[in-house]
Amino acid sequence: MRHYETTYILRPNLGEEQFTEIIDRTNAIVTNDGGEIICLDRWGVKRLAYEINREIQGYYVYMNYAAPGKTVDEIERIFRIDDRVLRYLTVKLGDAMNAEAIEAEKQRIAEKAAARAKAQTDDADGDDFDGEVLEEEASEE
Amino acid sequence: MSQQKKVFSRRRVCRFCTDKDIVIDYKDSKTLKNFVTERGKIIPRRIYGTCAKHQRQLTEAVKRARQLALLPYTGNTQF
Repeated sequence: MRHYETTYILRPNLGEEQFTEIIDRTNAIVTNDGGEIICLDRWGVKRLAYEINREIQGYYVYMNYAAPGKTVDEIERIFRIDDRVLRYLTVKLGDAMNAEAIEAEKQRIAEKAAARAKAQTDDADGDDFDGEVLEEEASEE
Repeated sequence: MSQQKKVFSRRRVCRFCTDKDIVIDYKDSKTLKNFVTERGKIIPRRIYGTCAKHQRQLTEAVKRARQLALLPYTGNTQF
């Protein structure tokens, strides 16, 4: 298994159910192939730097996961077919990933989230949506 | 005399080497905005004195951020 992260942008006017449906479907692809989701983060609706398919806003979803390479092919194939997905980007973070490394990564993300949450309480005008989601991740640990 | 001339050009050090806390991440568009011009071009390393290694990482990060529409390919970065 390898360590990947994928960020994808959905059309903002789909509604919460369709967001969840797409996210669940994507997660299912990863878990069905024997992979594991390490962190899933909904950044929410953000303004795009440029128009994509006539949309000026997009709903960003970030996922961090360990999976074999063919999973990425499958995810990207489906993203290409689905026109509700505006854009996606997959980055390989590491070549080998075992259960131990997954735990370590989870821990690292939780720590980072805690640090971010702390910084946010100090600095009130930060991007609080981001922190909220990360906090939820942390509490699940 | 050429020695004296050198005094004016202050030796800049790479800010990523001096401050280990900053990680170059394509998801962090707020930080990356400091390294592109108003029109969205990547600022060359002769201006900031970034070392080659970090400039490469920076370029990669900016390009990824552009793909995800976090930074513009061209146009105003302050949106």
